[in-house]
Amino acid sequence: MTQLTAQRPDLATAPLEPVRRVRVAGVFTIAIVAVVLLAAIHLTQGTSSVNAGDLLKLVIGQGTDNSANVLVASRLPRLLAGVLVGLALGVAGAGLQSLARNPLASPDTLGVNAGAYLAVVIFAAFGISLPTLPSGGIAFVGGLAAAVLVLSLSAGGTAGPTRLILAGSAVAMALAGVTTLLMLLYREETIGTFAWGAGTLVQTDLVAVKQMAPIVAVGIIGAMVLAPKLDILALGDDTASVLGVRVRRTRVWITLVTVLLSAAAVTVAGPVGFVGLVAPVLVRLIAPLVPGLMRHRVLLPLSGLSGILVVIASDVVLRAILGGQAGVEIPTGIMTMLVGAVVLVWLARRFRDSGPSRQQAGRAGGGLRTRRTFWIVTVSLVVLLVAALVFAMLAGDAFLRTGDIVNWINGRSGRAITYVLDTRFPRVLSAVLCGAALAIAGATVQAVCRNPLAEPGILGITGGAGVGAVVVLMAVPTAGIWLLSGVAAVAALATFALVYLVSWRGGLSSDRLVLIGVGVSSATTAIITFVIVYTDPWNISLAMTWLSGSTYGRTLPQVIPVAIALIVLTPVIVLARRELDLLSLDDDVPRILGVRLERTRLVALVGAALMTAAAVSAIGVVGFVGLVAPHAARALVGGRHARLLPIAALLGAVLVSVADSLGRTLLAPAQIPAGLLTALIGAPYFVYLLWRTRAVKL
Amino acid sequence: MKRLTALVAATLALVLTACGSSENITPEANSSSANQPVSVTDARNKKVDLKAPATKVVGLEWEIIENLITLGVQPVGVADVKGYTAWVSAGKLDGSAKDVGTRGEASVDAIVALTPDLIITTTDESPATITQLEKAAPVLVIRGADAKNAIPQMKTNLELIAQAVGKTDQAKTALAEFDQKLAEGKQKIADAGKAGTPYTMADGYKQGSTISIRMYTSGSLLGAVTNELGLKNAWTAAGDPDYGLAQTDIEGLTKLKDGEFLYIANNGDGGDVFGGDLAKNAIWKNLPFVKSGNVHRLADGIWMFGGPKSTEQFIDATVQAVTS
Repeated sequence: MTQLTAQRPDLATAPLEPVRRVRVAGVFTIAIVAVVLLAAIHLTQGTSSVNAGDLLKLVIGQGTDNSANVLVASRLPRLLAGVLVGLALGVAGAGLQSLARNPLASPDTLGVNAGAYLAVVIFAAFGISLPTLPSGGIAFVGGLAAAVLVLSLSAGGTAGPTRLILAGSAVAMALAGVTTLLMLLYREETIGTFAWGAGTLVQTDLVAVKQMAPIVAVGIIGAMVLAPKLDILALGDDTASVLGVRVRRTRVWITLVTVLLSAAAVTVAGPVGFVGLVAPVLVRLIAPLVPGLMRHRVLLPLSGLSGILVVIASDVVLRAILGGQAGVEIPTGIMTMLVGAVVLVWLARRFRDSGPSRQQAGRAGGGLRTRRTFWIVTVSLVVLLVAALVFAMLAGDAFLRTGDIVNWINGRSGRAITYVLDTRFPRVLSAVLCGAALAIAGATVQAVCRNPLAEPGILGITGGAGVGAVVVLMAVPTAGIWLLSGVAAVAALATFALVYLVSWRGGLSSDRLVLIGVGVSSATTAIITFVIVYTDPWNISLAMTWLSGSTYGRTLPQVIPVAIALIVLTPVIVLARRELDLLSLDDDVPRILGVRLERTRLVALVGAALMTAAAVSAIGVVGFVGLVAPHAARALVGGRHARLLPIAALLGAVLVSVADSLGRTLLAPAQIPAGLLTALIGAPYFVYLLWRTRAVKL
Repeated sequence: MKRLTALVAATLALVLTACGSSENITPEANSSSANQPVSVTDARNKKVDLKAPATKVVGLEWEIIENLITLGVQPVGVADVKGYTAWVSAGKLDGSAKDVGTRGEASVDAIVALTPDLIITTTDESPATITQLEKAAPVLVIRGADAKNAIPQMKTNLELIAQAVGKTDQAKTALAEFDQKLAEGKQKIADAGKAGTPYTMADGYKQGSTISIRMYTSGSLLGAVTNELGLKNAWTAAGDPDYGLAQTDIEGLTKLKDGEFLYIANNGDGGDVFGGDLAKNAIWKNLPFVKSGNVHRLADGIWMFGGPKSTEQFIDATVQAVTS
């Protein structure tokens, strides 16, 4: 596994450096002054005409009642909410990073925010209106469950950054899938939670802030009490035990405290993205200049201050650029998410690759099954696919019978059946083709990245295509499928090029590629939400479809780009199957055998990106297929790509097809987008994969 | 491998037992040959030709359902019956209509099972979906709303639907009643000496301590109607190009001068934001119209994006609120 060879020594020894009191005090002073200045600017921004002059008059006792009211009932609540959320998330982030001994841990990457948010939405959907305090308790339980799951999947975070991030992303995606589903089905009940879901600071009273402030205070005091033990824990579990720290108990306590802080923040403002990641990073940046900054007694409160700076600065910049009105329309969390994504990418770029000690994705030699097994699996899957196809054609609001299909094929069916099958056919076809395309793209990406957990979605390619498609839909509502596919393809390639180039540091490290991909894919989610909220805020169905994938209303022309991509690109990838086998081994073997490493990689990845883009423009953003299908295929027939690719394609086709059929039938006549069900089927399987391999370091 | 084989076998067995056909293929009877053919040009500028006025109609937006009931046609299929019942009181469903799914993604299977003569939807529906629906039955597309032209758009929608279902006389009557209601309302407001009074129309929803307020600009249907009643919209910033809605927070309300503040809340959806949650808010308490007691909650169940009947309910409620 890639170790944080650059960071580990800092993390381990920095806490023990002597504290330079004067310099540390200086840093605190600068941070507090910055917070005060930003807060002052923050107070002058808003949707009313009350400006800096009015507030100044208020200070010298000549203000109007109006400006006093605006200050007390709108500006201050918003500012205080920002301060409380920033503080809580900053401290929580620093605590989680120390707990996981991993600078990429945060309330977002551990799924805490997603868990807490889901818990809140469940209550909104079922119309259970709770006072702030118990609803904070619900958020705490949701966040805690998610954190415990992710931490146990990633061996407490010590299994390395890639594993932590992937476990966190998978759990967060699955939870977000359930959240979206609820919002889709309870549209009127949850109308207020959509923008709120990205984290907003709009506050109408101080109730939430007042009720959550004591909880945040308890959390911070708890963290400070634990601080000396965290210093010792940074030396390693064994050393800490020898020095008399009860490692397990300390870990449990710090988990509870940090989840409590994150849940309080979600209760006040919704999941404000990535603050817990960015805040401690900023502190770590200046740590080399100021010895002692990494002592937890200093690190924790300073991360809190840093968190306040991030939240308030994001809010100030958003409203300075787009005007006070934007502060209502655009959730602050979108801004912090974009900032956070940049920081995540920057952090990932600093990782050094510790060499070829990793387990390969392909293990082309290992896990090889007999030819007989391969054929049995192939035949079974073909039968299964045919069964899935037949089931998909039969299933719906009203179940048809096979005789109906026979009649339909022979052109003898009646009007109603003909129509139902005519409309079902493109849907079924798009599900099957997109499933196959995403699976092939996933298998290719995993081979090239030499990481069994990579996939087009995690590399940001799917999100990039989604951004392209949504922008086209908003700019040219009448756009045809070719324009949509074209722009989605260009955007997917551009996003991929960005990820590829940024990951390049004298060579391509696959772990760096995955980490940077996760950062970029978060950014694309933020951009899609931004575009929809800014241009068509009332079109929630559109938002849901483009953020979760749907086969609804597909027609045959929309399926053509995917079909073409499959027909043209599959042979290319199949021709490169030997190279893919070699690539998935390590860097040296292919070079020795005369494979032009970078060119092959690039061709394979471009092919995968194009296939992904075609699939996304047909059915929207569908995750997990590219991840799960190749994995299952590898388990069935081993890692040789000549066998892996067809099996993965079949599995992908079956998975999306079944998800689509279920989506149309489970709650009929209401329809669940196929992408959501794919996530709900795929995510648990992925979590299971992580669980099974948790002892083996990736 | 054994498990896989078993699964395949089970699936095959399931498929085979479902053999046979679920329909009797008989030529369809031509039920309404007595009526004359109808041709309507819809919002897409497309001619929709019907052999006879439609009687079995499926509607995929609530405004359409309300208009159908106004014209005396109970739809056979409705998107989100439960939501319609909760939000729209101007046109009562008689319980015979089938639910065809959500407003965003209605189920084509459920629609076609009703063998409708006509499907009516709005321009918000994606062109691909409309193309697909057209294979099942003729599709009439209306423009849901137009912020440049709110009242005429509402009337056009009713007229288009009326042509398609052969109820143009009923539409004329309904629109005449609407115009009369509007004129009477205007008169009552003038009589009460309220003409030219500034007003604000809003709704709002709450999540935690976050209250989002939706402002109805003069481009919205309700805003345009209130302007016609002789009141003056105090909210001058622009809204979105279709529904004419703008977003603001409590602080944004301080731009408003004294006047009438009208709002719609629904007890089924988070309750009364303005009457309840804002009661202790310092800005709210000191807004001129709050101080002078000119805040009016309109009755529940007035659909804000409806047809003439919902809008008449709104006129009644507004006139009542402003003149009392």
